[in-house]
Amino acid sequence: MQNESTIDPKIIEEVLKFSRNVIEAPKFVSAPDEINLEVTPHKVVQQIDKTRLLHYKPISGTKHKTPLLISYALINRYHILDIHPEKSWVRNLLEQGFEVYMLDWGTPTSMDKYLDFDDYVNGYLESSVEYIKNQSSTEQISLQGYCTGATIATAYTALYPENVKNYIATAPVIDGWKDTTVISNLAKHMDADKMVETIGNMPPEFMYYCFSVLKPFEQGIEKYVKFFKNIDDKKYVDNFLRVEKWLGDTPPIPGELFKQWIKDIYQQNLLIQNKMHVGDELIDLKKIDMPVFTQVAVGDHLVSPECSMPLHYAVGSKDKTLKIYPTGHVGMIASSLSQKKVLPEMGAWLAERS
Amino acid sequence: MSSKPQALTSIGPMRAFAANSKKIAVELIEINENLLGFNQYITEYYKQLSETWGVAQKKVNQKAPKIPQDVEQIEATKRIWIDIFDNDFTELFDSKKFGENYGNLVSKELELTKHWNNITNVILQSVNLPSKEEVDEVYKEIHSLKKRVSKLELELKKEKRKNAK
Repeated sequence: MQNESTIDPKIIEEVLKFSRNVIEAPKFVSAPDEINLEVTPHKVVQQIDKTRLLHYKPISGTKHKTPLLISYALINRYHILDIHPEKSWVRNLLEQGFEVYMLDWGTPTSMDKYLDFDDYVNGYLESSVEYIKNQSSTEQISLQGYCTGATIATAYTALYPENVKNYIATAPVIDGWKDTTVISNLAKHMDADKMVETIGNMPPEFMYYCFSVLKPFEQGIEKYVKFFKNIDDKKYVDNFLRVEKWLGDTPPIPGELFKQWIKDIYQQNLLIQNKMHVGDELIDLKKIDMPVFTQVAVGDHLVSPECSMPLHYAVGSKDKTLKIYPTGHVGMIASSLSQKKVLPEMGAWLAERS
Repeated sequence: MSSKPQALTSIGPMRAFAANSKKIAVELIEINENLLGFNQYITEYYKQLSETWGVAQKKVNQKAPKIPQDVEQIEATKRIWIDIFDNDFTELFDSKKFGENYGNLVSKELELTKHWNNITNVILQSVNLPSKEEVDEVYKEIHSLKKRVSKLELELKKEKRKNAK
C-alpha cells in the first residue's frame, strides 16, 4: 500500500473552486453593451467623414497654454487611452492641467477604401490642428502619436513643423526593417496590393489573427484561467472586461492607407530613409526640429523598441528625449506603471515646454 | 442558318445566358486549380504548427516532473508549459519559412475570393446591377470629390483666419 500515490486534497479543492467560478461567472460578468469605455467627459467638437475630434472637459483647470492633440493608432479604438478612471491616460493629463483633444478615426466602411495617408495627414489631422489653433488662439499645438497613430503624426510633424510646438511619439512605428515582432514578419510577406484589390479594406478578422499569434498560450489560455480564478474580485473583472471589449472592437483599415503602410513602412522601409511620400510631398524627418519626446517599451511585442527608437536619432531636433520603460505596448499607456511613471515624466517634460 | 438548333444560343436572351454560363464555368475550373495550391499551403501551415507543438511538448516533458503531486507543482508545470510553448511558437511565427508560407496561403485565399467576386459580378450584371468594379469607380470618384472639397474648405478656413488677424 505504501506505493499507492495520493492526491493532495488541495488539488481537488482548487479544481472544485475553479469549476464553481466558471459556473458562477455569468453572475459577475456584465454584458459588453453594459460597459461604457468613454469614461472621461468630452464633447465632439468637429466631425469630418467618419472621424471625430473630441475635446475633454478640464478637471483641474488648464495650467498650460499649449493644447495637446492625441493621434491614436489605426488598430482598435482610442478607448484604451481612457479605459478606466484609475488607468486613464487622458484623465491623468487633464489632472496635470493640460487641455486634451483626441482624434477618433471612426469606423471606415467599404466606401472609404480609397482613403490614404494623404487623407489622414493632410486632411483629418491637419483639419483637427487648424480647429484647435482657431479655438485656443494659438499658433502651435503639442501633438502625441501612439503606435500607428504616431506614424501618421510623425509624417504630419515633418510636413507642418510650424504647427507643432512639441511632439511626443509613443511606441511609434518607424523603422519596419528593424521591427522584430511577429506582426512585422507577417507584413513583410504580405501581398498588400492583392489584398486591397480583392477585399477593399483590411478586415478586422485579419487583425484578430495577428493578435492571436502574439504569445498565444499566455494570451489565449493563461489570461482566461486567471480571469476565472479572480472572478470574485470585482475590480479585476471590471478591468479585464474593459480591455476585452476594447480588444474586440477592431475597425477595418482603409485599403489604400493599409497598402501604403505595409509597403512603405514594413516592406520598403521608406519613412526612416526619408523616401516616403504623403500625397505629393516627401517626408523628411530632419524637418522635425521642435522638442521631441520618444517613449518605447522594452517588452513591446507589437512594435519592438528597435522599430521605434530610430525616430529619436533621425529627427532634426536638438531638444530630444528618449525614454525606455520596463513594460509592454498596452502597459505603457494603460497600467499603474503608466500612471506612476510614464505620464508624470511625460507631463513634466511637456509642462516645461507648454 | 439561324434555324439550326445549335444557333439558338447565339441569339436573344439565350446568348447572354450561354455567355454567362461559360464565364462561371471558367471561374469554377480556375477555383479548382487554386484550391490545389491553397491545400498545399494550408497543409504546410498545419505541418509547421504540429511539428512545433511536438518539439515544445518534448521540451516540457524533459523539464517538468512526470506527475505533479501538489498545487505548487501543478502551477510550476503550467508555467513551464506556457513559457516553452510561447517561446517555440513565437520563434515559428517570426521565422521566414512561416512568413512566406502564410503569405502564400493568404494570397491563394485571396485568389479564391477573386474568383468568387467574378462569379458574383456575372450574376449582378445579368440582373442589371452594377459590378464590383463599377461600384469601386463610383467610390473612387466620391473620394476624389470629397478630397477636393475638404482641401478647399481647409484653405478657406486658413484664409479667413489670416484675414481676421
